[in-house]
Amino acid sequence: MSNLITITVDGREVQVPPRTQLIEALRGPAQVETPAFCYHQDLSVAGNCRICLVEVEGPRGFAFGIACHMQAAPGMKVRTQNSSDRVKWARRGVMESLLVNHPLDCPICDKAGECTLQEHYMGQGKHESRLTDEVGKQYKGGADHRFTDTKGIERGGKAIDLGPTVVLDQERCIVCSRCVRFMDEVAKDSQLAIAGRGDHAYITTFPGQPLDHAYDLNVTDICPVGALTGKHFRFQQRVWNLKSVESIDPSDSLGANLTIDYAITGEGGKVWRLMPRRNPDVNKSWIANRTRMLYERLAENRLVEGRVAGAPATLAEAERAAALALSGARKIAIVASGHTTLEENAAALALADALGNRAEVFAGSWLPAGTPDGIALSNDPVANRAGLKLLGLGDTLDDLARRAGEFDAVVLFHHDLLADAKAAPIASIANRIVLDAWDTASAKAATVAIGVRAWAEIRGTMVNCKDRIQLLQACPVVPSADLEPAWAILARLAGAGWTSEIDGWKAAVARSPRLTGITYRAIGPMGMALPQAAVAAGVA
Amino acid sequence: MSALHGFPQPAEWKGKALPRIISRLFDVPNGHTLAVAKQHGAYDWFGSTLFDKSQFELIQTVIDSGLRGRGGAGFPTGMKWSFVPRNSGKPVYLVINADEGEPGTFKDRLCMARDPHLLIEGCIIAGWALGVRTCYIYVRGEMLPQIQSLNHAIKEAYDAGYLGRNLGGTGYSLDIFVHRGAGAYICGEETALINSLEGFKGQPRLKPPFPAVSGAFAAPTVVNNVETIMAVPYILKHGPKGYRAWGSDKSPGSKLFSVSGDVHKQGVYEVPLGMSFMDFFELAGGLKGSLLGCIPGGSSSPVLTAEETATATMDYESLASLKSMLGSGAVTPFNTDRDPVLMLQSIARFYAHESCGQCTPCREGTGYVDRVLDAVVDGHGRTGDSDLLHALASQYEPMTTICAFGPGAAWPVQSFVTKFKPYFDAYIAKNPNAAVPRQLTATAPGAFM
Repeated sequence: MSNLITITVDGREVQVPPRTQLIEALRGPAQVETPAFCYHQDLSVAGNCRICLVEVEGPRGFAFGIACHMQAAPGMKVRTQNSSDRVKWARRGVMESLLVNHPLDCPICDKAGECTLQEHYMGQGKHESRLTDEVGKQYKGGADHRFTDTKGIERGGKAIDLGPTVVLDQERCIVCSRCVRFMDEVAKDSQLAIAGRGDHAYITTFPGQPLDHAYDLNVTDICPVGALTGKHFRFQQRVWNLKSVESIDPSDSLGANLTIDYAITGEGGKVWRLMPRRNPDVNKSWIANRTRMLYERLAENRLVEGRVAGAPATLAEAERAAALALSGARKIAIVASGHTTLEENAAALALADALGNRAEVFAGSWLPAGTPDGIALSNDPVANRAGLKLLGLGDTLDDLARRAGEFDAVVLFHHDLLADAKAAPIASIANRIVLDAWDTASAKAATVAIGVRAWAEIRGTMVNCKDRIQLLQACPVVPSADLEPAWAILARLAGAGWTSEIDGWKAAVARSPRLTGITYRAIGPMGMALPQAAVAAGVA
Repeated sequence: MSALHGFPQPAEWKGKALPRIISRLFDVPNGHTLAVAKQHGAYDWFGSTLFDKSQFELIQTVIDSGLRGRGGAGFPTGMKWSFVPRNSGKPVYLVINADEGEPGTFKDRLCMARDPHLLIEGCIIAGWALGVRTCYIYVRGEMLPQIQSLNHAIKEAYDAGYLGRNLGGTGYSLDIFVHRGAGAYICGEETALINSLEGFKGQPRLKPPFPAVSGAFAAPTVVNNVETIMAVPYILKHGPKGYRAWGSDKSPGSKLFSVSGDVHKQGVYEVPLGMSFMDFFELAGGLKGSLLGCIPGGSSSPVLTAEETATATMDYESLASLKSMLGSGAVTPFNTDRDPVLMLQSIARFYAHESCGQCTPCREGTGYVDRVLDAVVDGHGRTGDSDLLHALASQYEPMTTICAFGPGAAWPVQSFVTKFKPYFDAYIAKNPNAAVPRQLTATAPGAFM
């Protein structure tokens, strides 16, 4: 492409887009691994850690500069650690300085294993330390550093309670200011600040004020060391024992990208945490605390068995009871759900087709769509609202409530509809078949309740509020191995003979021309913007 | 301030006339008042002498005069002015750096106390040259008498029509505000000063953009030292040639030197650049005892040995050739009764205390150097500690840091341990276990608590 510029890195010519930050040019096109502590793609440049030092040719020969602050310019000549001993020397010095006041408590540190300091020590440091404890460290975790602020709150030292979610271990902090910049620039609520100067500088909140923002747990992700840790994950798991799958936020129609971190153990395993996954088009690097804590619910109050007429039943018995109820019903309402994937809704539509003119499909939600917060939430709890529209389903719940008397069976899945006061007429339909992952009010009010897999345990697609289709991947941790996804049960009731969610996807594509030609592989972990309706129609 | 020597200073010294460019009113009673200052020619250029000159002529005049920044870095003033973009659509700010904090320097405080009107004159001329509407004088917070003197003078200047709206009927307006700092050394660094002026923590900014393009309130800003600006009225009145009559070819003009240490008459002196250090010491009453070394330009400039001092002259080039610098003109000779190790300990503690804590090499390095020096002084030094100190300081010396504080903190360490190594070795020899390397990890229980 003609708009690329050429820079020279270690004597090699590299083509990069103009005005790229040099660090991105090095990490990307130039394929030179460049360390950073303070630099973060979604925050402003602070340039204070100095570990990304490179040599750049200037009027007086090669001089040090930091790759995160400089922009690639045509003809720029850069020397990195691969060709310059001075760069290696300078970075080793920075590494040594960073470690002067950093404790060697990796064995008990939650960040160990995903710690930038550990990684870059292996990459840039590996020095014989000349800085010994005997001469003295300024351990900010020491008893000397404890003091009482003007509002009578104890500060400084180890395990400082910053607020409801975050704990600070002051002595591990390398003063990179990422957390301060996050609160200033992203959360737009400056609850954190660096106080003091020199090697006494420390991170703190304002006197008497907690750190209690709805996004504050993100500071624990961007903290390059183990200084800021989340209470929910502190001392819970070693990160190298965790595996992860890539999914999205199922509780919000922005669908913030995240990973589900889980560990498999003899008893089946556990989901330990949800971590934000960077997607510049959706949620940058951030997720809300609310989203992050969804993992707790995966093991709580689950509906792992079936229930028929209030009595416990196996899943198979409950499914038979559902089939019986459907076959005997005169008029059936099937309520498509905005809380689950296109595939599961396609299965519900397949069931409606199989039941012929006895069935009528309703859709929508009575939950209001809120206003986006501009970070990682749209505040619309109906995650797949746009997906329902794509399948040609409108907001028809009011219609169902008004005409509830016409029906003698209703099928609900992944939608706690009966918890809503407006749903009283629906709750009086004679046969209420509910497929849900949790023992919700609807499941309790059901005549036939069947437990199914939750969002973290299924593969499928959702369309977010920005018309972007995104993939959920299945985490193998399930409360009971017998649980099946709702689409499998719905497809069986329809007699459709589906074997995987791919069948659901094909059914969804068949119903929506805008999905034509799209595959899971094309969607990928980053999702894809749906083609415009007119264009898609042209293709179809 | 009467305790300071220097003024009245002799009209000539060693057969050479001494300039009174900046110190003209220093020994005149009530020289800080407008009435007395006017008797001595203050504001006599106010009118066609200034307002008939175009901005470009004025900047060219300052470039031709060879005036260099007197705050420490010695950057050519006219060139700095010429970097300011014209028609950027933003106001241009002039900020006077009166945050004099370099240890050993005490010239600007005298300037502001004794002749604030000369500073205001300089501000008006620089303001006209740069198209400035608003000028800030950022004064070190501790300098209360100087701030009072400045504020008094600014009020007089407003009342007399030298400041305010429509100066001299030209339509040009200028306001001067005095801003009190909070006494941080780093706020003498121009971008840290701007941050502090804007109400942020006084920490240097990443450059580029340089202040000339985006400084105070993201507008083009020129930051000049008090003494630099005070030389401008003389240059306007006498022209570049008149200014170049003083000093040497490459370092024209005069400079205020604040001399402390082992001379009989410590104080502020105005001398032409290029005078030899030994002549200068005589002017300051002569050396006490036998000279061991001299800090030539404030605590951050590399120290000179006695031999180097004997050959050095007080200008930018001579000191640069000795790998030192003129700095802020704070000359501190010391004699053989002094202990260079304790001197360096004091300097290193200052830099560890004043490091802003922003970037890693300086934040951690200055503190560590301070603690190693403490160990050496306390008799816990180990063989090789002087090399260790040199190596540690080298990590923040070659501009691996955001601002010039790093090099400024490293130079004294590097130069002292190199030039006065026997003194350090003598301290280290006091430790009977000097040959045993230090333990790398603490084994004592609770060491990490």
